[in-house]
Amino acid sequence: MRNTQYIWLGISVMCGILWVFLGQSWLFLNIFPGLLVGPGLNLEEYLQTGSSPSFTILWFSCLVALFIWLYVTTTSRPRNGDEVRQMQPRWWLAATLLVVLGWLYQLLFTVFIWQVRGQSPTNVSGMNYFPIPPAGWLLLMVFVIIDVILLFWLPTLLASPKTFRLVVPGAVRLMGGR
Amino acid sequence: MQLFAIGVGGSGAKCLEALTHLHACGLLKDTNGNPVRLGTFLVEPDQESTLLTRAETAIERYSKMHASLNKKTTTFARGELRHYGTWSPLSSSSGAIRLDQIFSRPVLRTQAAGLASLFDCLFPPEEQSADLVVGFRGRPPIGAAVMSRVSLASEAQTGQWQQLLGDVKAATGGGETTIIHLFGSVFGGTGAAGVPTLGQMLKNWLRDEKLLSVRVNASLLLPYFDFEGQGEEDTGVHAEARNFQLNTDAALQHLCARGQSCFDHVYLIGSDIKARYGFSIGGRSQENAAHLVELLAALGARHGLQPAAETGYAYVISRAKQNQITWTDIPDNEVVGVGLARGARFAVAWLNNFSLELDRAQTMPMLKFLSGAPWSRQFFQPNGQDNEFQGGRPSIRNVDELNLKAAIDAYSETLLQWFYQLSANTGSGFSQEIFSPDLLRRNSSHENDLAMVVRGSARPTRDSHSDTVESIKVRIDDLPKEQLTSRGVAGLADTLWDQAY
Repeated sequence: MRNTQYIWLGISVMCGILWVFLGQSWLFLNIFPGLLVGPGLNLEEYLQTGSSPSFTILWFSCLVALFIWLYVTTTSRPRNGDEVRQMQPRWWLAATLLVVLGWLYQLLFTVFIWQVRGQSPTNVSGMNYFPIPPAGWLLLMVFVIIDVILLFWLPTLLASPKTFRLVVPGAVRLMGGR
Repeated sequence: MQLFAIGVGGSGAKCLEALTHLHACGLLKDTNGNPVRLGTFLVEPDQESTLLTRAETAIERYSKMHASLNKKTTTFARGELRHYGTWSPLSSSSGAIRLDQIFSRPVLRTQAAGLASLFDCLFPPEEQSADLVVGFRGRPPIGAAVMSRVSLASEAQTGQWQQLLGDVKAATGGGETTIIHLFGSVFGGTGAAGVPTLGQMLKNWLRDEKLLSVRVNASLLLPYFDFEGQGEEDTGVHAEARNFQLNTDAALQHLCARGQSCFDHVYLIGSDIKARYGFSIGGRSQENAAHLVELLAALGARHGLQPAAETGYAYVISRAKQNQITWTDIPDNEVVGVGLARGARFAVAWLNNFSLELDRAQTMPMLKFLSGAPWSRQFFQPNGQDNEFQGGRPSIRNVDELNLKAAIDAYSETLLQWFYQLSANTGSGFSQEIFSPDLLRRNSSHENDLAMVVRGSARPTRDSHSDTVESIKVRIDDLPKEQLTSRGVAGLADTLWDQAY
């Protein structure tokens, strides 16, 4: 990897951390509270016990996927462009898996975990899940996609090494013409 | 500086093939480090000779590639080459193809009976009636008789000799250092007869023309191969390995007595361990693979480029180990080794990888190709439009670029085949620590590993794990624009040439 790629990798990982642990929660609290709050839902409590753990695990998953990607691309010795391009469907597979996992994490921490425990996360009896309205679910799903873009696409775009430099979707248009 | 190389006979042609490849590898330079201008000329009565065709192919392919590059490169294939063609000593015999036709016996008998008897005494009937279109059949006396009838003064009035000698005159008149170097074996027929005779004729012609600054050198090949079998009864007069030593002794005696009047310097190269070739009378069946001795003979011409103050008349060479040749046995191996290693690694990387990549680029959109080949954006425009230049970068589908690629492919294949034969054809009980022959083959497997192409001390000191075509691609991708002297296929080949070692 080039020195500049290491720097970009560091910057993008730092940005990801700031986004996931600060920026995103701030947006939920200050910009989108109306979309997320359902009947009987305490937003701050939801962000602490539901949203934050699910996005933290998504962040960790993206970090693992990123390092697996960097390891595979750094250690492989492709003979030609076709072998390099073979990594593109794998990248899409990883990105799709991360998005699906991200949605599952939301479902897990918002609904499933409470159902399994048989507890109610709210003060409303019998409601053993966080009551997120449909627009809130949509917002969470969009944020999962944004997270995968920030935490996986961006660092792989900026730091894919050697001949894999332009294999990440969009890399040719964004970085190939220089 | 101009070097005029004349290959006489089959072995001489093989030496010119080797010299052409040395020139391509940038190893023929003057004292200022500029590539010499090389002129090549072949002398061979056997116009069907495979060895002749092979030398002509190498020369023609290099010339075509050099012309197609159109001086766009800074290091790759910079040396100019002009081929003056192939001349047959029989061409001045008015269609006669047998000795008794060239020296008409009926005329001899009627006009000089004594000479006719001498002719019969010197040449037995089977030699007199032997068809010479396949060469002088390993018999120097036949060749000497034919060659002695050639008048260089009259040949200089027409055809290829006129062009060659005209350029010798022009170069010398223009103040350029000019060297004529002859190549040929002294143990066969054509070379043994032709090289000393032509050397003497050239010296006389230069003296008559007052071109005394022109040096005439020669690389003389001593026996270095044997035949697997022998000719049949109906083969007629033919070269026989048992005569090689006899022919050599006679040639060396001639050289001792009159050599200085033929050549300024001679390089004597042979091998005690012989390569084995299948028997052939000549023509298309003669498929002797390239040999290290021919490379050493060509390096004699390289040595001859040194200033004239170099003393000594005859140069010989020996190796350190009885059964092995290594880079340290090659003269000036630190420079020659790097040049040849670069050539071999370039040919492997180009033919077995880059050329295949360019072929693949024709089958998909440029943006898709670029995603797997970031290095290509340095030389070809990223949007892939035909016949459109962007930042000096042509389209990867531009017809002129594809024609240049075909020319580089063709020459690289010839070069790679020569390297392969050179390293594989050592003779039994003899090995080389120079190249890995198995890796010097053209294949479509996108060869990536370059670490073992060159062996021994000329191998690059780079870590073998990272000595790959992929690492070259990464280095090319990282190069700043200012370091790229040209774009397109020429720029790619030039950069690969730089990065190959």
